[in-house]
Amino acid sequence: MTNYLDALSVLLLVSAFILMGNKRIGSYIKTFQFQSALVALLTGIIGISSFAQDGRIDVLIICAVVIGIKVLFIPYLLKKTYAKVAYRVEKDFFLNIPILVLICCLMVVFSYFSFAETMGINTGTINNQIVNSFSVILIGLLFMISRKKAIGQIVGFLVIENGIFVTALFATHGMPFIVDMGILMDILVAVIIMGIMVFRIDEKFGSINVDNIKDLRG
Amino acid sequence: MLLVLKNIGEQNNLFLAAVMLYLIAAVFALALMKHHKLCNLVTNTICMAAALIGIAAAILRISTDTILTPVTIFESRITFLFLEIKIDQLSAFFVLCLSVLVLCVSIYSIGYNSHYYQKRNVGFFNFLYASFIMSMLMVIISGNAIFFYLSWEAMSLISYFLVIFESEHEENRRAGRLYIIMTHLGTAFLLIGFMIMFAYTQSFDMFGSSELIPEMAKNLMFICFLIGFGTKAGVIPLHIWLPYAHPAAPSNVSALMSGFMIKTAIYGLIRFVLCYLQVQQVWWGAVILCIGIVSAVLGVAYAIMEHNIKRLLAFHSVENIGIILIGLGVSFIAAAQNNDFLSGLALVAALLHTFNHALFKGGLFLGAGSLQYATHTKDIEKLGGLIHKMPVTAVMVLCFSLAISAIVPFNGFISEWLTYQALFLNINMGMAGQNILSILSIAALALSGALAAACFVKLFGISFLGLPRSDDAAQAKEVPLAMNIGMGILAALCLIIGVFPAVFVKLADQVAGSILGASVVETLQSGFMSATVPLAVSENSIAPAEILAALAVVILMVLLTLRLCFGKLKARKYGTWDCGFESINARMQYTATGFSKPIRIVLSILYRPGRKVVIEKGESDYFPKSVKYQVWTEPIFEKYLYNPVIRVLKSGSEKMICLVQTGSVHVYLLYIFISILALMFYNRVV
Repeated sequence: MTNYLDALSVLLLVSAFILMGNKRIGSYIKTFQFQSALVALLTGIIGISSFAQDGRIDVLIICAVVIGIKVLFIPYLLKKTYAKVAYRVEKDFFLNIPILVLICCLMVVFSYFSFAETMGINTGTINNQIVNSFSVILIGLLFMISRKKAIGQIVGFLVIENGIFVTALFATHGMPFIVDMGILMDILVAVIIMGIMVFRIDEKFGSINVDNIKDLRG
Repeated sequence: MLLVLKNIGEQNNLFLAAVMLYLIAAVFALALMKHHKLCNLVTNTICMAAALIGIAAAILRISTDTILTPVTIFESRITFLFLEIKIDQLSAFFVLCLSVLVLCVSIYSIGYNSHYYQKRNVGFFNFLYASFIMSMLMVIISGNAIFFYLSWEAMSLISYFLVIFESEHEENRRAGRLYIIMTHLGTAFLLIGFMIMFAYTQSFDMFGSSELIPEMAKNLMFICFLIGFGTKAGVIPLHIWLPYAHPAAPSNVSALMSGFMIKTAIYGLIRFVLCYLQVQQVWWGAVILCIGIVSAVLGVAYAIMEHNIKRLLAFHSVENIGIILIGLGVSFIAAAQNNDFLSGLALVAALLHTFNHALFKGGLFLGAGSLQYATHTKDIEKLGGLIHKMPVTAVMVLCFSLAISAIVPFNGFISEWLTYQALFLNINMGMAGQNILSILSIAALALSGALAAACFVKLFGISFLGLPRSDDAAQAKEVPLAMNIGMGILAALCLIIGVFPAVFVKLADQVAGSILGASVVETLQSGFMSATVPLAVSENSIAPAEILAALAVVILMVLLTLRLCFGKLKARKYGTWDCGFESINARMQYTATGFSKPIRIVLSILYRPGRKVVIEKGESDYFPKSVKYQVWTEPIFEKYLYNPVIRVLKSGSEKMICLVQTGSVHVYLLYIFISILALMFYNRVV
């Protein structure tokens, strides 16, 4: 099973890199959908193994919820918001994309540096899954920093959440059911609210460029 | 009964009973909030009872030599958070000091608080008053550093509320703000000191041993304690809160604050530096000595320039703390040099001056309160002629003034004399640098004594003698009896200690002996009545009782001689010559500003005085319509030390806030990102 999980964690990392390399808002959403599908697959594998070993089905339920919320519902919501807003392509970045991708590579190296000697997580040896999933968190954060449009912030936030979810899953092979459910519900509500807010902001100010929030400063 | 009380457990119970009574007083104050008069009477009576118990317990404790076991009064499941009391003779001495003062101030308050009836929340005031005393008591009797710190903080906060009690005046709120900032600055340093202590010894036991702490850390702890306690004591240059906070507080509270609260810092210095850290280096004492000299001289120098009676007294507190620190500094120097005798003598001087200062400064603040009660002003330029209106108050303020100026039959003289003795002894044995320091401090002490006398001539002369300078002063009446009784006890104590010093020197000597293991009392030539103070060391001894007797004999003889030579003297009542004016009025008198002018000129380098004369011309140059004369002195510490720091801090934080809070979401995200990276780095490295 470890091989599958390793492979999936690498795929997750790759999906995060793909996201970083994207410019079109439409493909942000598609990439996120792809990543969520990977998360769901991973949850399913862990769920099956925990069902086979301990007879627990809660991880499987989580898997179903993940598919429902992250793979289907949230991308659908985002697409709806996207359709209403006039922006299709991000044009100006703080740093250009090749440099950002390079920084992402550095992030992976850094999280390897940070976790290489951390003992006690799951296996006790160097844990590539943790390194990869933590890199996903960092890349998600970097994505939020680098994108200027509000929809980029939402997607970045969701990617961070995916990363945290997967890290927790790798570290514990199934968090307490109630915690996972709570987090998923939080995400759902957050995305709904953010989607509405983005829509409203666009309607009001004719832009979803978060830099304009600066003007609110007293 | 006495035997029973001497039982160790019973003694601790007595101290606890005092604490409990203060708590009960505080509760009663709140419960009886609606009935102002009853509430005031009940609270102060309970406080008096608690003070009496405290006096009894303290005297019993000082006179027994047993080692007390600590009593835990509250335990919690949180590690190190347990409240225990432990009372050695040093604590008992300070409890005595506090209790005597509280007894008198509480009697005084019964009368004094009457001007709050129906105007203010007397219940809340008394609640704060009783809990303030309780917190001070707990600072003194606390058995570990955590409890000490908690009580210290409680004391600071409650006194802050008392300072801003009359909060409708803007200057009181400002005073409170300054006070709380300064006091927390000091407390922060104390906390650092305690943390260093814990880091090396793994315990907060302040009665334990400090052997595990390395030399460097001990130096650091000393500096932290010096700044922390120095802020509370109000040493220069950390004194700036004191001349604002003391005048702002009601007079009975300022008597407690100046009389005892600032002494808790002296207790802290003795407890932590002398007892716990066991003075390691000579320079510790030298630093304290230097601070003491500067505070003594500058404190009194600023006091002379003040016309607000309570500010004047507040500056005198700075001066007297300076004198106490001179004694303490010599004691520390001698302790570091293993000279137990001198260390003991200087400590006795410092402790006695602490006690004496509590008496006369408490009394003076009460006197200032009486003046304010009768005339509704704190400005001595508006007083005058009060000796006719308030003769009792006048006599008592005169007693306290003589005591603080260290004039012979009063207690101030005794402790300053001991301090001089210690300084002289310090010369004989030290190296060149130490000799110079000692000689300079003797000169400084003499200077401050002379200036203090000048200052109190001004205070007494301007406010009590001459003609009233305002209608309020002209209509003043004698204050209620309770207020005079409270002050009277303090004045009587000042005189008793001054005339029979041997008893009290012995008391202080037992305390010092319990700390340093050396008694100086054997070297003192003392009998109960003759009370020769103190030393035969360099043939310097003086007996106040004998001097008093001799003085009486001399006066009697002079009177007799006069009588014999010139016959019976007749008293003639006659108007004072008025230089040809029609009548003498109050404006012809010397003013306080005029009185202090010579000193202002002599010490102009310190005061940097400025003046402005505005003349509104009339029909002729010789008959101006009005003349306005304004004179001021520069507060150099505020101007050159505090204001630049405040300016830099203010502009710095304004710039920082623009730099950090950009309003850009991306920058905020970047902060999160960087902190995560830093945490990951920490995870790897540590």
